[in-house]
Amino acid sequence: MNWLSWISDFFSSPDRRSGPDSIANRIGEHLAISGEALFYAALLAVPLGLLIGYSGRGAGLVTALSGTARALPTLGLVTLAVLLVGVGDTAVLIPLVALAAPVLLVAACEGVRGTDPDLRDAARGIGLTHRQVLWQVCVPAALPALLAGLRTATVQVIATATVAAYVGLGGLGRYVIDGLATRDFPLTVGGALLVVLLAVAAQLLFAALSRFALPAGLRKQRR
Amino acid sequence: MIRFDGAGKRHPDGTIAVEGLDLTVPAGRTTVLVGPSGCGKTTILRMVNRMVEPTSGRVLLDGTDVTELEAAKLRRGIGYVIQQAGLFPHRKVIDNIATVPHLLGWDRKKARARAHEMLELVGLAPETAKRYPFQLSGGQQQRVGVARALAADPPLLLMDEPFSAVDPVVRAGLQEELLRLQSELNKTVLFVTHDIEEAVRLGDQIVVLREHGRIGQVADPATLLAAPADEQVAAFLGRDRGLRGLGLRPAGSIALTPLDEPFAGWRLELDEAGRATGWTGHGEHRPAAAFDPGADTLRTALDATVLSPVGAAVAVDGDGRAVGIAARAAVLDALDALHALPPRDEAGHGR
Repeated sequence: MNWLSWISDFFSSPDRRSGPDSIANRIGEHLAISGEALFYAALLAVPLGLLIGYSGRGAGLVTALSGTARALPTLGLVTLAVLLVGVGDTAVLIPLVALAAPVLLVAACEGVRGTDPDLRDAARGIGLTHRQVLWQVCVPAALPALLAGLRTATVQVIATATVAAYVGLGGLGRYVIDGLATRDFPLTVGGALLVVLLAVAAQLLFAALSRFALPAGLRKQRR
Repeated sequence: MIRFDGAGKRHPDGTIAVEGLDLTVPAGRTTVLVGPSGCGKTTILRMVNRMVEPTSGRVLLDGTDVTELEAAKLRRGIGYVIQQAGLFPHRKVIDNIATVPHLLGWDRKKARARAHEMLELVGLAPETAKRYPFQLSGGQQQRVGVARALAADPPLLLMDEPFSAVDPVVRAGLQEELLRLQSELNKTVLFVTHDIEEAVRLGDQIVVLREHGRIGQVADPATLLAAPADEQVAAFLGRDRGLRGLGLRPAGSIALTPLDEPFAGWRLELDEAGRATGWTGHGEHRPAAAFDPGADTLRTALDATVLSPVGAAVAVDGDGRAVGIAARAAVLDALDALHALPPRDEAGHGR
């Protein structure tokens, strides 16, 4: 089949091995953009989500807001961001953060809200302060939900970071956009395949993480 | 000592949980709050550690109004056990028990050592320390809950229906354990339950509550069963109060007759170890029923004479060796003595 040979063409090209257009370099750029976006999204959304989840105030708003935010068209946001801040990292980070933040916000909020009320009550009753209840009881209880949210956000951001190339930045999107522009289909298909592989790899990484990084008492709960 | 001084709780929506409660919970004893659901017993308990703030009156802990104390600090000085144990699922048993010592700033080593001590105190195996709460049975979790409450050695223990969620056999074991602990530790215990049997079993003082935390009666278990204040309290106590009250009286007062003395034509047979094997007489052999005057109650003794097919029970020592014969009439005499009746023969009841 045609596209199989495109893929082999893509991987056998010397340009993929070294230089700015090499696979290693593009994956590095892609991960850097994705990582940066996730970092800012988490910085913004997680503490806010934890607080809202703990206090229970504004939780309805969070759900409504995140639903709306998910409906935002990323490409439109990129264009808007370019108009607002000009071409550059920020123009890509804005839509990616807008994509990841609501997911993390809801995960943090719902994770904390899902803490067994009897458990919170007992924790208060034996003398934990609100801050201690949040950190020692609710955050651990929210970890599985947080990790799941982070996984969703990561996969989405990695898939969507392709748009960086749209405004002239690097990443795997370069292959896709450049391929389309020059009708170099092996380049487009190979780039798309790499994005998919990267997203799947991220998915697997988180599956392993939620298996080994969570405390044993949370992995298997009977509550 | 805890004193409720006209303490009340009215919810923001106007409903009244507790109204004008005056009650003293004596130090070093177990006080049980018992009543139907919705009577405000849990609210009363939670006023002590400020999980509920009274809206009227005061709650005094050793003379200090609890609302004058910082809530978290107050709670760290009070053991708190709830129905579902409320253990932290992400922490091992040992770390759960050491929670309050950690909060109080004990060093790690001392807190751990103390936690291991507590584990042993509540009758759990040392290897339980490394397990997570979900790996334990309900009864074991509840024991860990008690261990956690005791870890910082608080003088006061609040227990909110701690044994309600476990099956009757496990519950009986936990109650036994609490009685044993209390006989060693002499804490001030305020215990909430809806189960009058549990109240009678555990309480030195029982507070029967009606709606809005109004007191029906405050009494020790024997007095409560023998003399309920009114019909409502009597109805709550349930049937067979008299018999159940006998369960609180030691059987040691029953007059025994010697083993070799025949009883109504029946002779008690013993094996080499001195244990009763049955009664022989009237050309028959019948089984024996026994009780231990040193450990059992009048209720058990009476039960043994009721069970006995010859009308007399065998009194045995701790090792099961027969020490005497208790005729049904002798048990009834012991019951008469409870009410300070004159001996039957003189009163003309005859036998």
